[in-house]
Amino acid sequence: MLKIRNICMLQRRWKSGKRRWNVLQHKKNNCDRALESFDDFYGSVYGGRWKNMRAALLTEHKYVAMVNNFGDTEQTCSMLELDGAINIKSLIQLAREREETGTEHSLQRQQTRAHYEIDDKLGALLRKQQEREVAAIYPSAAEDGHVLPQQLNYEKNNNNNNEQEEQTGSGSKQAEFKQSLTRALEHDVQLDSSRLVDPQFGTGSLYEYVPASTIKGMEDWVAESEHYKYYQTSTDFPLIIEPEAIFQYPEHLAIYTYEMGNCAEFKPPRQCLTGVLSHFLMDGASVLPPLFLQVQPGERVLDACAAPGGKSLLMLQTLHLDQLVCNDVQESRLNKLRRVMQEYLFDYKQRWAGKRLIFSQSDARNLDEYGSYDKILVDVPCTTDRHVLMHQDNNIFKPTRIKERLRIPELQAGILANCLRLLKPGGSLVYSTCSLSPVQNDGVVHMALQKVFTEHGITARIRDLSQHTALFSDIYRFEQPKGLKYGQMVLPYLPANFGPMYFSKITRNT
Amino acid sequence: MWRKILFNAQNVLQQQQQTLQFKSQTVRQLAAKAAAPKPMQLEQLHIEEAIKLEPALAIYTPDIWQRAHETFQNHGLETVSFLRIVTGNPAVLKRTPERLINSLELWRACQFGEHLLHLLLTKYPELLDVSDAHQLLSLSAYLKSRLTNNKNVWKLLMNSPDLLAQPEHTIEQKLNYMFDIMRIEVPEIVKSAALSLSFEELRCRHTFLFRLGLFKPRALKADPNEPTTNNRLYQITDTSEKSFATKICHVTLPEYEAFKELFARELERKTRKPKDEDEFSDEEDA
Repeated sequence: MLKIRNICMLQRRWKSGKRRWNVLQHKKNNCDRALESFDDFYGSVYGGRWKNMRAALLTEHKYVAMVNNFGDTEQTCSMLELDGAINIKSLIQLAREREETGTEHSLQRQQTRAHYEIDDKLGALLRKQQEREVAAIYPSAAEDGHVLPQQLNYEKNNNNNNEQEEQTGSGSKQAEFKQSLTRALEHDVQLDSSRLVDPQFGTGSLYEYVPASTIKGMEDWVAESEHYKYYQTSTDFPLIIEPEAIFQYPEHLAIYTYEMGNCAEFKPPRQCLTGVLSHFLMDGASVLPPLFLQVQPGERVLDACAAPGGKSLLMLQTLHLDQLVCNDVQESRLNKLRRVMQEYLFDYKQRWAGKRLIFSQSDARNLDEYGSYDKILVDVPCTTDRHVLMHQDNNIFKPTRIKERLRIPELQAGILANCLRLLKPGGSLVYSTCSLSPVQNDGVVHMALQKVFTEHGITARIRDLSQHTALFSDIYRFEQPKGLKYGQMVLPYLPANFGPMYFSKITRNT
Repeated sequence: MWRKILFNAQNVLQQQQQTLQFKSQTVRQLAAKAAAPKPMQLEQLHIEEAIKLEPALAIYTPDIWQRAHETFQNHGLETVSFLRIVTGNPAVLKRTPERLINSLELWRACQFGEHLLHLLLTKYPELLDVSDAHQLLSLSAYLKSRLTNNKNVWKLLMNSPDLLAQPEHTIEQKLNYMFDIMRIEVPEIVKSAALSLSFEELRCRHTFLFRLGLFKPRALKADPNEPTTNNRLYQITDTSEKSFATKICHVTLPEYEAFKELFARELERKTRKPKDEDEFSDEEDA
């Protein structure tokens, strides 16, 4: 008969605990995928320095505290100073004084940066990746003597020596650039004529032989090397790089940090008398793009991808702004931004919302108030190197998001190009990403400049900020200027675990 | 005729060889006799030298010295070893012979073999202070069960004698970590002083190497004999902080120090997290 014991007892699945290797084996997750891809890519870009960045990226990052000027500012400042934090403003003052007393060697910086080794590295990487992928699909191609399915033409980058000079582009090479990946996939399908069956020679063979059009399980396959192709080295648009003349630290802005090597934490923000929170904790490197944007009193500013709001808030805290437009794609992200503003701005409903602070929800590529902004902050969506290594959810390295990931540079260049059009002539923008990838940084700036020139005839000049970033060298670890073409980058470094943050300042020509 | 002459010559040669062998044997035996039954006596000179090294020994009378020396000698320890033990651990001298014999017997029960045991006791004379038979035996049995044989236990004690003072669960925690997470085999573990380190220190060093990408855990089904590119365990654990950072990890010391601080905080946060899940966070994921 049915015994109760038999029902209640569950059979033991494992005889001696879970000890079999395939049970113990760590299942690969999105963070591992990201790390693997970074190891491969950044390992070849940064060489021996990658391991230091890797350890820093995988470890907790460091915050800075931005004091809220709409709260009890003095109390907050003295509280932070009691904890041992230092005001960035005074650090910069010190660096300035040191610079003035020292020799003026930095002013005579070499104007021509002859040859970027990064170009060669990426070229080699692209070739390697393509070969690897081709070899994965056609394992025996070389042995059988087959011709490789795609003839890889490597453009030798001979012409990057004369990038400094103005070149008026002839537009001869635009075609290959303009094509997006999607269109390339759709339109450039070449039918293999040797495999077509002509119906006039009898349809019988058609029934017998149906040529394969897709490979099962490989429908979504996109070659990883497509991603590296976004990094162009040929220049056919006028490119001017000139040093930024002045840098002014905003008078009213108080940002506190701990010195390099000190990993202490800040106290959590508390409620002030005015009902707003006392200070905002943010990644230290996020401070730099809005600072270098140099918002002046009375200017109209756009934050093209504003959420979660740290950078927008910083620009508001300079008290210079006339009007700030915060744009983001998703409603949820915009809500997050709204919440932050409500928490930090005094009299938000009466004085700010809709008047000096405007929210808009649209794709930054579709904004169309052309020529109406003095300053734009373009903090584009990117691979967010720190986030993808730490968090599983919303991870761009999810296998199903591969197309999206590989096409990120296209999206970024689209946003940047559109923002260049939104600028008033003479206005400037700062493009920033939190990725170490040269494709998403210099590559995108290059693509966008090329795109606005060929499509809309807009020319721009790059501002070289490296003189002014030297003022921050006590706080951040910067990539040496030789490694980057158009911008500056904060590298993750354990004693000062900020970043990664790339930023490049571009001014639209009048 | 020629054949006979040849044969004779061979015989003579063989006899000569035999006599040679015999002679050498007798010489060896004589030498052994000279060494064995005449153990070195403890002389005044030895005592003076020992006192010079360790002034605390000056209070003992020559009788006590002779008594202790005799006890050790009876148990196979030579005068040199005796002197080393005494200078290392002067309190041994004042003990009664029974107590000394007891602790020697205690160690003998661990079955390392006489020679190895003497080496161990000479290297760490403090080990003679052990009096808890139950604890020692259970520890050595536990270590044997984890490290397969007594020789490995002995090697481990030679490298990290402070194991005796550690509770079993911390040893287990460290061994489990090394076996399961670092995937290191027994021979490598016993060659290092990894168990002298605290568990947190061991984990911190391993995690740092792991995050730098310099330590790759071997695959679960990999052949244990296959060479790895990982640093050896003794390089990781038996180095000062500075040389670990610069020689093994090839980073600067400030970086490692910052990592230690950050990692400790990360772990603390992880243990705290299950309590207050709903924490305000602002991630920069733009």
